[in-house]
Amino acid sequence: MKAAPTQNKTLAIPSDKDGLTVKNPFEEFKAFHFKKIEIPLDQIVQSTEMVMDRIRQGYEKLLEEEAKELVWMVQYNTIIKAYEVAERYVKEIDYSAEDIEDFCFVLENTQKIPYLIPGPAGIYISALCNYVQEEEIVLKLAELKTEINLVGFRLPKGKRLVIEGDTGDFTGIGLEGGELVVEGNAKNWTGAGMRGGKILVRKNIGLHTGEWMMGGEIYVGGRVRGLGNIVEGKVFERDKLIYPGKVRYPNLYY
Amino acid sequence: MMDEKNLQAIVEEIWPRLKKKHFYPEIPIPKLGKIPDPVRDDAEQNQGVGLEMKQKQITINPAFISKMKDKMPEGQVIEALLDHGITHYTFCPWDFHTHLMLYAEAKKVVNDKELAKQVADYFIDVIADTHCVKTGFTEIPQLHRNLIKGKVEEVIASLYQKIWGIDLGISRSRTTGERHEEIVRRLARIPYLDRSRWPESIQKFARSIKLLLIGEQKKQENKGGKGESNPQGEHDLNNYSFEEIDQGLRDYVRKTMALSEFRDIVEDFSEELKEVGYGMEGGMGRGRGAPIDADILFYMKLAENYSIPLKKIPQEEKGSLHPHSHSPWEVGSPFQDVDIWTSFGKIMPGITQIWRKREGKGRGKIEGTPDCLIAIDSSGSMINPRKNLSYAVLGAACATNAYLRNDSKVAVYNFSDAPMGGKDILNFTDKREEIYRVLCKYFGGGTALDLEDLTPLIRGRKNLDLFIITDMKITNLEALIGFLGQIQNRITVVHIGENPYASRFEKAVEKKKNINIFTVKRKEDIPHIVLGSISEYFNFTQIKNP
Repeated sequence: MKAAPTQNKTLAIPSDKDGLTVKNPFEEFKAFHFKKIEIPLDQIVQSTEMVMDRIRQGYEKLLEEEAKELVWMVQYNTIIKAYEVAERYVKEIDYSAEDIEDFCFVLENTQKIPYLIPGPAGIYISALCNYVQEEEIVLKLAELKTEINLVGFRLPKGKRLVIEGDTGDFTGIGLEGGELVVEGNAKNWTGAGMRGGKILVRKNIGLHTGEWMMGGEIYVGGRVRGLGNIVEGKVFERDKLIYPGKVRYPNLYY
Repeated sequence: MMDEKNLQAIVEEIWPRLKKKHFYPEIPIPKLGKIPDPVRDDAEQNQGVGLEMKQKQITINPAFISKMKDKMPEGQVIEALLDHGITHYTFCPWDFHTHLMLYAEAKKVVNDKELAKQVADYFIDVIADTHCVKTGFTEIPQLHRNLIKGKVEEVIASLYQKIWGIDLGISRSRTTGERHEEIVRRLARIPYLDRSRWPESIQKFARSIKLLLIGEQKKQENKGGKGESNPQGEHDLNNYSFEEIDQGLRDYVRKTMALSEFRDIVEDFSEELKEVGYGMEGGMGRGRGAPIDADILFYMKLAENYSIPLKKIPQEEKGSLHPHSHSPWEVGSPFQDVDIWTSFGKIMPGITQIWRKREGKGRGKIEGTPDCLIAIDSSGSMINPRKNLSYAVLGAACATNAYLRNDSKVAVYNFSDAPMGGKDILNFTDKREEIYRVLCKYFGGGTALDLEDLTPLIRGRKNLDLFIITDMKITNLEALIGFLGQIQNRITVVHIGENPYASRFEKAVEKKKNINIFTVKRKEDIPHIVLGSISEYFNFTQIKNP
């Protein structure tokens, strides 16, 4: 059996006298200490992340509660219940309008959000808009692949919500005096049950527009595909009053 | 005005310190030289461009330094410009693929080529400058304090004030009030230094700045001008070498795998790509003027990401090969030819060298790679390779590359209803572009082979490999089976999906040792399954015939 070599093997660095001294190329970094300079950006990004985490957690809790329903139906009671839950979480968070926009894009990121259910997502975004400090909220959502439903739900008086992009069904339902501007198209049941305020849709609007609306005004820059059963309020199509009036009849699709 | 010699002396003095600060980037010492203003001819009246980067060579404009000298010392201007320039190589965009990716993400938001380029440029600059400020002492803030600013530059400077916490002399009134404040507030929330989030970050950046840029673009159009040039240098394809661009395109197709996105990018950069040598006149990589066939380039670059090992077979040749000269090693080239001595033991494009072999005198059997005949089905049941990513074409492209890399030739028989004229035949060639052009052809319609077309391609070639990709829904399948049964060449058949025709074919040729069949149930698996299985097949042959 061979005995283990007793002599320690070391790298033999040629001495100076041989004229072959190998200089350690990293020598000058021996005393190097990486100094991390804090700039305000770090703070801004960190706090933005923290707020987003809280908003996301609130949404996930809402989903947990709504998931018990198995099938999420857009019914009066379902919406009211979901909104109350959303309100509860949202009230506890200190956020800005930009955080809401960021959250809309986070919703599409499946890595960050387990699943997007258009109904609760819209309710939650509406709650965020209604409780944010700013009076004017601009959401640049033109690049969003999903059209959010129920956005602008119960928008209160004194708030102005501008959506740059299209919205889904039930836009601005139950509006409570706020001003909702959709720079693109809105789908069916827009302004249903609204009590007051103004909805302005720059392009086209779908069926059942203003169903059971009790007050307020809907302005459409493009075409109105169909009106719902309107109780009270006004609907304009390209500056022309179409309700009340004899020009259009409820539930007439064209 | 300080003469160029003195400025060069300043550069030489500060360069070692800058190199150390940026952890010794592999770039040559910057030089001084006149830089023409790409946007305005009246460079005398504005500040002009301070920095230019062409293929890693940084050039500093002495005229720019001279114009800035009343505001800050020459040494500081040079250092700030170099900090900025070097950071483009060491942090953002880092490589051409990142540049393309940022551009593509910006375009998704702004839907305009020029605007997307502007967005990407501003974004890259913000990241580079913020990185410099974050990582150490730099004169960049001082430079920004003294630059002449347009509206967009003022907003960007306001952003810097906010995210760097350094006063750059931008007051609220100068940024025309609330509207710009809102933009700055949005821009300041972006995690610029988080590389993993750059795709989403640039989209947010573009959303925030889009209206401002559109407004400025309209103003400039009304004035009849193109706007101001970037004093910190333009970001275009000139910054990159041909190899970097090639690698960038390769990485981009591999990561996106989206034909339409790649086509858009190539169309947007077509002029620049032609400048650097991508053009289809006489072949991709040679000539200018003709439009670039983005689809062919897509398959070409995507196929370069895969590599098939080919087992050589004994071939009768005059003499044997001996190492003759060196040539650079490319990704995918055979490793066995690498000369480890001149490659310093490294496998790295640009360093590694391979032996080019030449035939010597003598007679005997040597190992070689045969030529290959690729038969590809382009009938209606196959994917149109010019509309969507066709894995059949990709598989054939990978096989093409493997044979061409081994100095063999490839012939292509592209068929749908061949007896009715639905066919394209390319004789044995080593011209990659021509092969790809025939592979990418799509006929649609029915599927039938005209075996008389194949005979002249096979005749007299004992050592010829056959590579067939089809879904097997061939009307004259029996004739094909009979034809393949007669020949002894190595045959690789890839068929897509299970169907009665495929089963019939498999059963008919199961006893033929020279025919290997690969069934692909998911079309997306073709490149992996084909490549992997071919490798197994050739390895198997190797064991059998050591």
